[in-house]
Amino acid sequence: MNPLIPVMVVLPILCALLLNLLHGRDRTVKALAVAVAVLLPVIPLLAGYGVHYFGGYAPLSENSTIAAGLPGSIKSSYLYSFHPAITYVFGSAQRIFLVILSVVTFLAVLTSLNEVRRPSGVYAFLMFMGTAAVTAIVLTDDIFNLYVFFEIAALAQVGVVLCSGVERNYETALKYMMIGGVAAPMLLLGVAILLALTGNVNISDIVYSMRSGLVNPGSPLFLLASALLIFGWLYGTGLPPFHTIKSAIYSKALPHGSALLQAFSVFTFTALAIVILRMFYHVPLVRWVMVFFSLAGMVLGISMALMQTDLRRMIGFLAVGELGYIGIGFGLGTAASISAGLFQAVNEALITACIFLGFGTIFYMTGKTDPEDIGGLMAYKPGLAGLVMLSGFIMAGVPPFNVFQSKLRLIQAAIQAGVPELGILMILLSIVTFMTFMRAFYSVYLKPEPKGMELESRSVPRSTVFSMVVLIIICTVLGIAPWLATSHFTALIQGLII
Amino acid sequence: MISLQLASLLTAGSLMVIGAVAVIFIDNLIKKVIALSFIGDGVNLFLVTLGYKPGGIVYIYLPGMSGSWFAQNAAYPLPFALVLTSIVIGASTLAVMLGIIIVLYHKHGTISASKVLEE
Repeated sequence: MNPLIPVMVVLPILCALLLNLLHGRDRTVKALAVAVAVLLPVIPLLAGYGVHYFGGYAPLSENSTIAAGLPGSIKSSYLYSFHPAITYVFGSAQRIFLVILSVVTFLAVLTSLNEVRRPSGVYAFLMFMGTAAVTAIVLTDDIFNLYVFFEIAALAQVGVVLCSGVERNYETALKYMMIGGVAAPMLLLGVAILLALTGNVNISDIVYSMRSGLVNPGSPLFLLASALLIFGWLYGTGLPPFHTIKSAIYSKALPHGSALLQAFSVFTFTALAIVILRMFYHVPLVRWVMVFFSLAGMVLGISMALMQTDLRRMIGFLAVGELGYIGIGFGLGTAASISAGLFQAVNEALITACIFLGFGTIFYMTGKTDPEDIGGLMAYKPGLAGLVMLSGFIMAGVPPFNVFQSKLRLIQAAIQAGVPELGILMILLSIVTFMTFMRAFYSVYLKPEPKGMELESRSVPRSTVFSMVVLIIICTVLGIAPWLATSHFTALIQGLII
Repeated sequence: MISLQLASLLTAGSLMVIGAVAVIFIDNLIKKVIALSFIGDGVNLFLVTLGYKPGGIVYIYLPGMSGSWFAQNAAYPLPFALVLTSIVIGASTLAVMLGIIIVLYHKHGTISASKVLEE
């Protein structure tokens, strides 16, 4: 067992609790938050691959002392490999996900601490608590534990929105919680049905039961469970019919909050999709349902972004739309498509965070989010405008950046899977994304300055610019050397595909 | 006469349906939250029902019990452990929702969903 595996979850939780207690002591809050945020990406890099059994209760097959005294009837049965404890699995795919999540957390925390005069311990608490919850979602091999942290992540997201002070943030948060009040019990009902059918909540054990014929995987109840899990997946990630509320949540948070919230959504999306695929890969209907909702998310998200008059809402819809690419990768179900989907997940978490931070600087300088009220910012901050434009190019899939690599792989995978129509749609939607972004960029930076526009600040915090530069550098490196990420997915994909 | 387990399953289903209908059709925010807790309680009851064993005993191994007798008669404890956690999560969510409603009531002077939540 590797002691660093639980530390990845425990450390941000402890830090969050301390930050909440220390609220008001500005220097301490700042120092503690930055120190732990710096440490977060280091832990997954240092930790060795392996599993962690909470309470130390390993399966009998891994405990030679107990196994020696067991009768043959148990050794030859499924009980021999049964997981009695909550199990966390840390492999190479989890490593890359957690490093990226931690980097985004670090940059979001750093930006938030430097954009305000007095750092809020409560706000930092919510950021770290959300990060801990999503880390647990990525690591856990226990579907009930996943549900618990799914709920904690949702509460942390609502908290981030409540702390923003943006107009009508409370109304949006309540709507999100009410929808979650229906979706989360449905996810729990799916877990309960799986428990009823297999007697288990450990994902590996459930998969083993289904694949080895201990239970009938063709049972209609399994289909019902898959539908309920997919419903929870759609809510947690913001795919239709939840795309409107999810984009509203992004738009009601502060830019660094939105950057972090979308990273939460991306990795929750990925972790839940992996669980669904592991259990129901043998049911083509489940994969096509994933493709359908992902495609709907892309079309609705990107087309609604085109119609928005509020910059934050526009980026919110773009973020939801881009999630669809990941889902299509999973839904197609080939090794190439899943690898491309996972790579797209990593890329999207990075670049969408950068775009949220970039457009956040506009709000920071002008206090406005309607492009009609803003213009001519290029004259004030040409360097920053260049960074924002570069982010837009990356998100749209312009070479040689990382999103180009992942979208190209997705298109190739769609063609190889015999669905070239999906490839064409992905190209068209990337063009629309580019157009949407360029229209917003023109309105804000290139169009003449509207009369009466007053700047609230002529400068932006260095930490924001630093965060954007770091994210763009990572995107460029992954674009030039995509194998740095994709080589980590091989083992995971082999376990998914039957 | 229907069995206790079937009756519990029917009650769980009814709670979920009543909750879902109430969430959609009732305008009062507090009542909506109560309806949401109905849905959560329905799922919790469903989980408890899974662990029910007719004539069974609580999963506590006491002195004097033989291992095989205990294994045959004890109820499956996992659903109960899950429900306990689920109740805690439900209570936390409920508390946050009610807190938000209090703030919104002070802001809008009403708890009508159609007035408070309209764009």
